[in-house]
Amino acid sequence: MLERNHIQTSGFSNIGPEGNRTGFRVRLRQPNYRGTRVSLLEGIDVTVDGERYPSQENRFLIDGREYGHADLDTLIDVRWPVGTTVDVLIDKPGGLEPGVHLVETVVLYRHPYFPPQFRPVPVPDSRHATIVL
Amino acid sequence: MSGSFKYGVSLYSYTDDFGTVMGLEDAFYHVAEASATGIEILGEAHVEGYPEPSSAWLDRWFSLVEKYRLEPTNYACWIDTDIQKRRDIGVEEAAAQLTLDLNLAKRLGFKFIRPKFGVIDDELTPHPVWEGATERVLDLAAKLDISIIPEIHAPTPIRHPVVEAYIDFIQRTGTRHFGLLIDTGIFQDRPLPSWQHETPEMRELRSGAMSFLDGIKVPVEQLAEVIDYTPFIQAKFHHIDEDLHDHNIPWEKVVPMLKSLGYTGYLSSEYEGVRDPWVAIEQVRRQHALIRKLEREYDQQHAAPAAVEA
Repeated sequence: MLERNHIQTSGFSNIGPEGNRTGFRVRLRQPNYRGTRVSLLEGIDVTVDGERYPSQENRFLIDGREYGHADLDTLIDVRWPVGTTVDVLIDKPGGLEPGVHLVETVVLYRHPYFPPQFRPVPVPDSRHATIVL
Repeated sequence: MSGSFKYGVSLYSYTDDFGTVMGLEDAFYHVAEASATGIEILGEAHVEGYPEPSSAWLDRWFSLVEKYRLEPTNYACWIDTDIQKRRDIGVEEAAAQLTLDLNLAKRLGFKFIRPKFGVIDDELTPHPVWEGATERVLDLAAKLDISIIPEIHAPTPIRHPVVEAYIDFIQRTGTRHFGLLIDTGIFQDRPLPSWQHETPEMRELRSGAMSFLDGIKVPVEQLAEVIDYTPFIQAKFHHIDEDLHDHNIPWEKVVPMLKSLGYTGYLSSEYEGVRDPWVAIEQVRRQHALIRKLEREYDQQHAAPAAVEA
């Protein structure tokens, strides 16, 4: 079972060897009530301690494969099921300091059954989450 | 006394609990414990491995259906019409999606599928591929004996071109495997304090495109105009308090109207309210207690008078 927040604290971690971190990951559970094909996902913006990491610069680990922001629109047969996670991979030399951070995310969803003026709809979440090391 | 309602629960009710504090068997347990007989699912939420569940998952599904003695009722699916930012699907792709979901629904034992087509305006007019795509799969639906039932959902009222187009379709094709799913949210007559999908931008439009969140107040009498085409009802609701008082949906009008029209299909709970853990479980039980009470009262008032003893 995953945590209630969209943002998971388990999985929030630095990338790269200790002493030579290259970035960090933010793990999100599927925030929608149904699983969705990834082409309906128009991006995931991340902010940590006030610093913004826009979707265009992020990479995404979906079902074991890594994709760039521009790939999302092409993934009509890759799905993000309910009860599973996607990792947003963010470049940041040195990574994040171990400790508690304020993490904010906005998942942009295009719901074809929403009126056109509400596509995409931003789905926000925020919480404190901890980098252990 | 004519027939009675059948009571079901859509697992949509347990959104956010499912996958965080509730697994599939827990969901079956809570539906069965509410004395419901029918279970409704969303294919692309509750079928692990959708659209190709493993045989292990299928075995588990059937064992749960048997253990909890629940009848699979309606299977919800989506026709993602604007599948990419700059590309809408055509009739063929839409028909392929419907075919996939019809076959999977049949495999799992469902009697209905509810396709949610993408829309083209604020009144939820479905994307024009709906008609051609649906017509292409009517023979398959007949072969599988599954009815395709798009939903009439706020802000679309009963008297609306969307409903007329569906009824025209039924009359033109003569199909017995297409109908309407009425979502009881259309009868909402008091505002929702908040809505889970509502953004600040939407909130500013409460007087415009989002005014339906205040309730579109379709008169329940209008059910008479569509009941012959309505084999399934989603009992949408948002909050029922400790006195079994629903704050938004006028069940005291909806239930007698459905009874007087002789409706004996499912009322399948769709709780769409506060998403704190486990709240939905209690809300669904309150709704069933409330509707069952209203149904009993109607039956008592309309029972044949007892023979007077001499």
